Amino acid sequence: MIKFLQTSDWQLGMTRHFFSEGTQERYSQARLDAIRTMGRIAREEGCLFMLVCGDAFESNQVDRKTVVRALEALKEVTVPVFMLPGNHDPLNAASVYRSSTFVERKPDQVHVIETAAPININEDVEIVGAPWMSKKPAVNPVEETLAALQPATGVTRICVAHGIVDQFTPDPEAQGVVAVEMLERAVSEGKVHFVALGDRHSLTRIGNGDRIWYSGTPESTDFAEVQSGYANVVEVDNGRISTKAVRVGEWCFTERNRVDLNTPDEVQALRRFLEDIENKERTVVRLNCVGSLSLSSRDELQAYLDTVKDVFAAFDMREDDLLVLPDEADFGDLGFSGFADATIKRLRTQISEGGGESVVARDALMLLMRLARGTA
Amino acid sequence: MKFLRLRVANYRGITTAEVAFAPDGITLIQGPNEAGKTSLAEAIGLLFYYTDSSKHRAIEAVKPVNRDEGPEIELQARSGPYEFTYFKRFHKRPETRLAVTRPKPENHTGREAHDRADAILRETLDVDLWKALIIQQGDAIDQPDLTKQTSLSVALDTAAGGRPANPREEGLFDKVREEYSLYYTERGAEKKDLVESKKALAEARAEVARIEQAIRDLESDIEQAANLQRELRQLKNQEETLENEVAAHTTSLEEINTLESALEKATLKLETVRVSEEMARRDKDTRQGLIDAVMKATRTHKDIGESNVTSLSALNRIDDELDKARTGLNEADRRRKDADALAVLRREDFDYYNNKLHLDQLLERKGRIDDARNDAAKAEEVLARNKVNDHVLRKIQSAEKDFLTAGAQFETGAPSVVLCGLGECLLSIDGSETRLDKGEVRTISVADKSTLIIPGALSVEIVAGSSIEGLSKKLQDAREALEKVCKAAGVDGPDEARTAFDGRREALRQIENKAQVEKDNLRDLTYEELERKLLGLQQAVPDYLIKRVTEPSVCTDLGSAKKEWLNAEAGLKEANSEWEAAREAVEAVRKVREGLNIKYQETRVEFDLIVKDLKYAQEALEKARNGVPDDALDVNLADSIRAVADEEANVVSAEALLKAKNPERVRLLAETAKDSLQTTQNRRGAAHTEFTQVQTRLKIHGEEGWHEKLHVAQSRLERLEHENRALFRRAVAVRCLLDFMREERDKVRRAYVAPIKEKIERLGRLVFDDTFQVDISDELQIISRSANGATVPFDSLSGGTREQLSLIFRLACSMIVAKDGDGTPLILDDALGYTDAARLRLMGAVLARAAKECQIVIFTCVPDRYCNVGAATIVPIG
Repeated sequence: MIKFLQTSDWQLGMTRHFFSEGTQERYSQARLDAIRTMGRIAREEGCLFMLVCGDAFESNQVDRKTVVRALEALKEVTVPVFMLPGNHDPLNAASVYRSSTFVERKPDQVHVIETAAPININEDVEIVGAPWMSKKPAVNPVEETLAALQPATGVTRICVAHGIVDQFTPDPEAQGVVAVEMLERAVSEGKVHFVALGDRHSLTRIGNGDRIWYSGTPESTDFAEVQSGYANVVEVDNGRISTKAVRVGEWCFTERNRVDLNTPDEVQALRRFLEDIENKERTVVRLNCVGSLSLSSRDELQAYLDTVKDVFAAFDMREDDLLVLPDEADFGDLGFSGFADATIKRLRTQISEGGGESVVARDALMLLMRLARGTA
Repeated sequence: MKFLRLRVANYRGITTAEVAFAPDGITLIQGPNEAGKTSLAEAIGLLFYYTDSSKHRAIEAVKPVNRDEGPEIELQARSGPYEFTYFKRFHKRPETRLAVTRPKPENHTGREAHDRADAILRETLDVDLWKALIIQQGDAIDQPDLTKQTSLSVALDTAAGGRPANPREEGLFDKVREEYSLYYTERGAEKKDLVESKKALAEARAEVARIEQAIRDLESDIEQAANLQRELRQLKNQEETLENEVAAHTTSLEEINTLESALEKATLKLETVRVSEEMARRDKDTRQGLIDAVMKATRTHKDIGESNVTSLSALNRIDDELDKARTGLNEADRRRKDADALAVLRREDFDYYNNKLHLDQLLERKGRIDDARNDAAKAEEVLARNKVNDHVLRKIQSAEKDFLTAGAQFETGAPSVVLCGLGECLLSIDGSETRLDKGEVRTISVADKSTLIIPGALSVEIVAGSSIEGLSKKLQDAREALEKVCKAAGVDGPDEARTAFDGRREALRQIENKAQVEKDNLRDLTYEELERKLLGLQQAVPDYLIKRVTEPSVCTDLGSAKKEWLNAEAGLKEANSEWEAAREAVEAVRKVREGLNIKYQETRVEFDLIVKDLKYAQEALEKARNGVPDDALDVNLADSIRAVADEEANVVSAEALLKAKNPERVRLLAETAKDSLQTTQNRRGAAHTEFTQVQTRLKIHGEEGWHEKLHVAQSRLERLEHENRALFRRAVAVRCLLDFMREERDKVRRAYVAPIKEKIERLGRLVFDDTFQVDISDELQIISRSANGATVPFDSLSGGTREQLSLIFRLACSMIVAKDGDGTPLILDDALGYTDAARLRLMGAVLARAAKECQIVIFTCVPDRYCNVGAATIVPIG
């Protein structure tokens, strides 16, 4: 029986534009901490080694500091770590794995899979990798790797590969796409016993069996990810495979595609939803708001959002489909009757006419209200 | 607001003074200078503006003179719903009291009273407008500043039919302007924040672009490195292949070189034997040449010898023919000479007769000339003697005419004697004999005395009377004149003169005739030439016959001589033809002879030469044969030919071997392979260098973390874009708001300018005329005045007019505000000081008109100035 920890897509060096500088720093640190966490998990789970199935780095051109910090984190991983160059960090002439920083500081237990030649872990286990040598190979390297293999005898052979499989892409014929059928055939032919894949950020089982897995990224990176923030602990016991998803990540990307905002009640409902979110400082929120609010309700919502948005790691409210329609109550207490009143009427007319100018008019009206209340 | 009563005490120089104002209309407060009018006007303001403890210099200034008392001011007034009495004492025992009686009683003291009074004032009165409308003594009267007069604005809004603006709206407008000024300058230019935001955005974009370019360069290098690696591998394989090819070609080339060397030797040997063959062949040919030369010379010697004999024979024959031709020519020449002599003789004969004829003609022509010359000489003599020319003749004839006229007159007036011939008889009259025929009647006039004599018979003396003497004298004079003229002409009388004249004319004709005769007979000769020619002919003609040969005999006349001459000329022509034919025959024969002679001479020379050639050839052949016999040359030539054939076979064999190796192809392939190898090595070296350079660049730039930098730059750019959008959104919003608000405010202002303009013009027409108009700016200032079609800017008007318009303007404002409530009392302190008497009267009407709608308080020390203000409450002070 052997165990190993499968992970991928650390995407070290990744930045998120919606993060402030401080948040970005925390997020980057969280991704480095995930390495240590996985090292601990590997140790605790009794894993023989750790497989990083590509894209450990966001790019070959990551900052030297990122590489140094990653290697520092890897130092704390006690099991051997086999890193496969993926499409983000291919083993080309400018590969991060060939950079002086990486070469000079690489811990001994860290190995870069540079060729498709089998790597013997021990008498019973070997791994074969399909490293990406360039960003855009004509075919996914795993095809050549598998084609060159004979059925494994007397050894458990783990294939480490990277790339999107055809069932998840609208263009299965595109370069670098891996055919699931090919992987399953290799498994069925006994060429490999398990295929550890990287590239997809969500933990995903591929094919009909239990032998082809995406581990997903250990720390979430985007809203579209289904099950990210895990490491896959794989156990091979007498030819049987079992996997266990172990939570690693602490960050969460939450998106609501349609938040209806028309009434004060719905504004209150949104407030409750946001209030109920836990771990806010590591949660990224995106709201796509639709509907129409009065100036007063919009002001009320905005006032709330102004207080809460800094609590979240990032808060992105999209208001393209949210209209602000002033009503009489918005201006009743201002008591204007002269040219200021005429101005308000003009602005309201322009708002009701819609178009780009209505946005300007809405802003102008809100400003007027702010200034008027300041003068009251 | 209405002022009801004002009392001051211990105020400047005033101990105490009190004035009761008429709540409506005009209150005219009159008093002399220093009566305290200005102080009263000023006191109302001080009451409201300053607290009782104020140390303001305005308060300090109203301290009483030489009294240690605090100045007191007490005002009873009505404003809005309020009616109150307000008291203050400053400095000394300061005190403030406010007693409100309406709408509900209130009493306040101290600061509370001040604040309450202030509140009432601000609640019910536009304080700013009140300040603006007051005319203080000594101030230059000008237009009030009405830009921030809320109550006026409200009133104007109402007058314009709009809803009155909330007083806060102007404040809001200011805030909007203030907000606008955060983003834009007065002229609408973007301020620093916007500009810097744009700049930062542009810089961030540039930074992103720069990093993207760096990444593109890097990726390009990565791709290039991969390509170069691939190429280097290919080049290495290619180089190995080419090296093997070059080695194989080198071996082939060595074999080819060996074969080429063998072929070269065979070729050289072949060339050597070919040279030997050539020499043998040449020796043989030379010998044969000598033999042929001897044979040829022998043949030629024989041929030319025969030809020489033939030529000599022909030459002799042609010499005979030439002699014959020459004989014929001599004969023809002799005949030609005889014919020529005859022709000469016949020609001379003909000339003889011709000369003879010519001599006769010349003699005749000379005779005619000589005759003419003689006649001309005689005529010359006549002319020399005869002086009666045409002029002289006319004089004589004139004298004759005078004489005859005098005679006729004499005969008419003098006694005359009529002679009648009874028979023929001779008689003498005055000595002249005359004949009288029978029956002839002749009348003789007697001028003085005449004597008639009949010879032998009778002498009659006839004497004229004394009356006849004059006529007689005249006749005598005419006669003497006639005689004198005739004598001068050398003639005896007129008849002789006429004869002489005819003779002179004949002589002239003969002289003219001589020239014509000479011309006709000399023709183209001179007389001397004629004479010489004649002399020559006179000698030649007789001599010819003497000297001429006798035979043949001379012809008888010119015609026969001419005929014989022509015959002789024909004979000569024939003889010449014959001579010419004979000469041509001689010439033809001579030419043939010359040809034959030349040929003969050539043959002879050629013969001499061939003799020499033959000798030389024979000697050369002999000499050669003595050296090498002819058969030895044949053997040598045959040996050489065989050797050449052998060596040619060797060369062909070597060539075949070489050709089998295809040296040209092998060399070309070897050269190509070598060049390709060099090219490949060069390219590999260049690719290697390039690869090294790319690797170096990648080493340098690959670890700079461009991708992460790009993410950072992009994040910053996105943040800046967001901030920029938000900033500009705010800026655009405030600009939109200000634009809208300004437009609406201006619209309102433009509307409420109309009522104030109307009010000013209505009042102004009381002073000026019906055409009076003013232009009012949005800031409520009179821009210009128009009257009688002339528009004058306000600042260009006279001081008096400006003062009047300013007062009218204030009155108009007060009237408008008063319509809306209590209005603002208008306090005038000795205004209209610049206005003349006529205008004062009209301004009085204006004040009276305004006073119907608002309270007016006038302080003056010149009551007369306001004697035309109509109904007024007059309050004397001082």
